[in-house]
Amino acid sequence: MRRIKNQKKRVAVTGAFGFIGSHLIPLLDCDDRYSKIVAIDIKSPPFAAKKLSYYNVDLTSPSAETELMKILKKEKVDTLVHLAFLSNPVANTEWVHELESVGTFKVINACSASKVKRFVMWSSTMVYGAYPDNPNYLTESHKKRGCPGFSFVQDKLEAEKAVMDFASKNDDFEYTILRTCTIVGPTVDNIFTSLLLRNYVPVVMGYDPLMQFIHEVDVIDVFKFVLDREIKGEFNVASDGVIPVSEIMRLGGIIPVPVPYFALKNVISFLWNGQLIRYPAGFLNYMKYVFNVDNEKLRKDMGFTPKYSSLEAIKNYLGTRRLRKIELAN
Amino acid sequence: MSEELKTNEEKFINEIIASIGGIGEELRDTSHRLIKKSPADILGGLAKAARDILTLDYFSRDKRRNEIDVEPVNIDEFGFNARYFEMVRGFYEFLFYKYFRTAIKGIKNVPDSGSVIIVSNHSGALPLDGIMLRLALLNEHPSSRDIRFLIEDYIYHLPFAGTFMNRIGAVRACRENAERLLRKGKGIAVFPEGIQGISKLYKDRYKVQRFGRGGVIRLAIRNRVPIIPAAVIGAEESYPMLFKIKRFAMMFGLPYIPVTYTFPFLGPLGLLPLPSKWMIQFGEPVRFDKLKREDAEDTALVSGYNESLRGTIQNMINELLASR
Repeated sequence: MRRIKNQKKRVAVTGAFGFIGSHLIPLLDCDDRYSKIVAIDIKSPPFAAKKLSYYNVDLTSPSAETELMKILKKEKVDTLVHLAFLSNPVANTEWVHELESVGTFKVINACSASKVKRFVMWSSTMVYGAYPDNPNYLTESHKKRGCPGFSFVQDKLEAEKAVMDFASKNDDFEYTILRTCTIVGPTVDNIFTSLLLRNYVPVVMGYDPLMQFIHEVDVIDVFKFVLDREIKGEFNVASDGVIPVSEIMRLGGIIPVPVPYFALKNVISFLWNGQLIRYPAGFLNYMKYVFNVDNEKLRKDMGFTPKYSSLEAIKNYLGTRRLRKIELAN
Repeated sequence: MSEELKTNEEKFINEIIASIGGIGEELRDTSHRLIKKSPADILGGLAKAARDILTLDYFSRDKRRNEIDVEPVNIDEFGFNARYFEMVRGFYEFLFYKYFRTAIKGIKNVPDSGSVIIVSNHSGALPLDGIMLRLALLNEHPSSRDIRFLIEDYIYHLPFAGTFMNRIGAVRACRENAERLLRKGKGIAVFPEGIQGISKLYKDRYKVQRFGRGGVIRLAIRNRVPIIPAAVIGAEESYPMLFKIKRFAMMFGLPYIPVTYTFPFLGPLGLLPLPSKWMIQFGEPVRFDKLKREDAEDTALVSGYNESLRGTIQNMINELLASR
């Protein structure tokens, strides 16, 4: 307790002005226990903050590791929050691989070289992969099978593996991995929220998987919670309850267009290869099978209770969906 | 008034039967029970259920897209959909009471509350025994027990089937799911024979196949849950399987294609079960309270219990077969 009082934390955030970072930084800025926030991003800061110093580092550039190392040393950072991950698949998969998989490797190396004590990383429950033989609730110890051919997931899985590898070789490396399930809320933009923005959503005929959600407020809270209490380990971050895709569509007044899997898969692959849609065919697995996680470790070991249930979170998103579309039209 | 008296009388008789309880309980025929729903309602429910799962109502949904759908979301953590179950319940009740004229024995052996594992034989090319066991305990058990039945993985590879089974109360069979249900004090029905059980040919009927690797016994020991052996008779005659085709089945993601007297010769109509008389018997609970949790790792002990459980169920089946 005394240590926390005397020694204020100095936090670096990569991907600082993405969704989580841009909400987390103002929270850290108001908190007296944090004395410095180092933002690392390729975007310039969209807001001002007292303790913030901004560095433009591109994680895909070859010199990123040394640049990061210099910054972390200069600012005497003790905790690094690694949020430089994409929420939507993009066509340039090589660039994403450089950013997420190789980028994480560079960040870890820079951390260990500059004596950063703690490493907090954001990941997704999609790394478990959606399979028909998944148990309904996956625990942290379950094997992460990913989704071969879906680079959006595979890169995140490789990033996690890089952290695990490093941790197995360095016993004093403290890391936290927060694996969030599908994040929904009034403002967040990711693969799932943008899918549901349409009036007609193609679904895989005959499959109606149960989905799990977490509200965006809870996601930002859990990062703050972990930073405040210096919790380590890997955690699946999900709210209570599940809801099938068909019910989401019914609640939102969205019209599901059922298409047989083989037809949908081929059409989507074709459109994706022509860069006409944002969804590669690998995403269809997640519309067929379950990949829900057990949040018992989050509740019991970490002591964090999400404020919104899955149903409340998705209702909150669906309630603001129409207004979002107006914003897009302007 | 007279109806009320009648139901009271029925209740009284049931209470007497119940007080005898346990193993002494007589085989009780349920075919006299009235089904609340009319045939039109049953068929309507089926049509609604089919339309819902095929998602074919999207044209009508388009017209009333801006109306608010106020039906509540009533889905449990394993995807059991109470609204959906009500649509098909009438049909399954018709099958249970009128078509299969199911007789029940020893239902008082199932405790009124708390977690319990019901282990049953598995039969019939299209497994109807899970839903029938569920219906027996839901409708005929004094405290209307809501059990979940565990089904094989391959169902979830198929379109429609996995979704449908999930909505009416099935759960994928795996240790994590079973333990989660037991921790919540739910009852589960398990068919350890798996595909070996339902893919038996008619000539091998009522021969209980191997019970896997003793996963059920280990589950019971670890979680300190009693096992209730159950025997289901009649399902073998509902789908008398003459052959099974394995080669082409791979193309459709099925473990085999059954060939019965009516299927595939009569097309989809051949999938209707034959009206055989069904009997369901629940045996006396097997308790593992004296064992330690570590005993679950003792393979000799587990396989011993496993074999004796299989024997118990085979005996129950033989007795029931002799009595009909």
